[in-house]
Amino acid sequence: MENPYEILGVKEGTSKEDIKKAYRELAKKYHPDQYGDNPLKDLAEVKMRELNEAYDSLMKNSSSSSNNGSSSSYNSQSNSGFKPNDDYSSNNIYQSIRMDLNSGNIPSAEKKLSSMNTKTAEWNFLMGMVHLKKGWHDSAYTFISNACSQEPNNIEYRRSFNGLNTRTSNYRDNYYGRRGNDSGMGNMCLNLWCADTICECLGGDLISCC
Amino acid sequence: MFGYVTPCKMEMKIKDYEKFKAYYCGLCNSIKKNFGNLPRLTLNYDMTFLAILLDSLSENKYNFIKFKCLIHPLKKRIMINNNEALDYAAFCNITLAYYKLMDDVYDNKTIKSKVFSIFLKNYLSKSEKVYNEVIDYTKEKLLLLNTLEVCHEGIVIDEHLSIDELSHVFADLTGFIISFYYKEADFENDLYWLGYNLGKWIYIIDAYDDLEKDIKSNSFNAINSLLNTDKLDFKSFSKCIKPRIDFLLATCAEQCLKYLNRLPLIKNEDILYNILELGLMEKMDKVLKMPY
Repeated sequence: MENPYEILGVKEGTSKEDIKKAYRELAKKYHPDQYGDNPLKDLAEVKMRELNEAYDSLMKNSSSSSNNGSSSSYNSQSNSGFKPNDDYSSNNIYQSIRMDLNSGNIPSAEKKLSSMNTKTAEWNFLMGMVHLKKGWHDSAYTFISNACSQEPNNIEYRRSFNGLNTRTSNYRDNYYGRRGNDSGMGNMCLNLWCADTICECLGGDLISCC
Repeated sequence: MFGYVTPCKMEMKIKDYEKFKAYYCGLCNSIKKNFGNLPRLTLNYDMTFLAILLDSLSENKYNFIKFKCLIHPLKKRIMINNNEALDYAAFCNITLAYYKLMDDVYDNKTIKSKVFSIFLKNYLSKSEKVYNEVIDYTKEKLLLLNTLEVCHEGIVIDEHLSIDELSHVFADLTGFIISFYYKEADFENDLYWLGYNLGKWIYIIDAYDDLEKDIKSNSFNAINSLLNTDKLDFKSFSKCIKPRIDFLLATCAEQCLKYLNRLPLIKNEDILYNILELGLMEKMDKVLKMPY
């Protein structure tokens, strides 16, 4: 491994706090999740691994007690391992989750999703689907809308999201539609009579029989 | 908690409304017959709906009889008699009322609840042995619900407990109760999901209805304690959370309707559709105070 200080861009002898800060800044830049389908994602993953290894080794070297605290959300990712073929294997997992959903095996799909650390748009979408099947609509709505905001151009996510809203508006329209119906006929008769009366006042006659 | 699942009277045919009332009176009578006079006070429309739903899937003929009601002495009324679905609904009525009271006892420790719950306990022991499974399940679920609610009584909002997760407990219970009656049938699963969504709908709308009261008295409220992350006051919070609650309620109601469509109904279709298509919506409008 290259010089960990160089990877994190810090001088030797920097305090732990500064090392942590530097790590966080770089992790924000290179975290693979924000790359989505971008081909640079692989490079980002490799860089992320380097950052994690460098951070770990610097932390271990410091004489103070090891910490599992604050930046552990990024740290834990290094433990689960960003293998070079991670992209390929995560696609495989998504495929198997979709198959589980189609065959109705919700618990298995949920278990697989819960074990994954990266919350990509696809992850959010599939989690939303799982919750829909469980009848947990509020959470499903949140997950699917997350997926849409992470990948606004994805038609599948957008269609699902719109579908959620259409269902409820259809249901509502069924009720509201019935309530305005009876005023139609009465209004029309009244309107005709008014029109006829006004017409007669002005000298003409709209409806000759009254 | 109860009394939200009502028919939309305005859109109901008179014959269906009379039938609905006959079930209601029949339920009251069934409670008296199987349990006693005092438990009749727990009578509610939701359990009437349950009776109508379960009876609609059976081929039994109606058994109307005329009778004189003590509370409504002016006109002779009609009720349905000797109906198994009504007897089961009567049992569910007592069970849920009893455990709901136990809930209140834990929450408020009012004397009224305690006294009433002691009375109900005696009546509960009169129920059929067959239904013991339902009693145990109810006890377990309402205890779980109570535990989850108590954990969130504090000021800190636990982000990990979603409103879906909390209402799932009650929804699962109602789903179980409704589908238990037709345990071995093909449509048991559809009945379960209808019950599940209806239970969730009841839980959420009850929470929203009690929002103002609970915020004032600082008691637990599912919506306030789980979703009011910014600790707003009642007016602003209720306005801001309304679309989300509206979505949740409308989706649950729509799902109820979807599963109703799948059931092989033999009778009472109009009443059931009226309640699930229009009645629920009418109640939502009233509680959410939507402008017409």
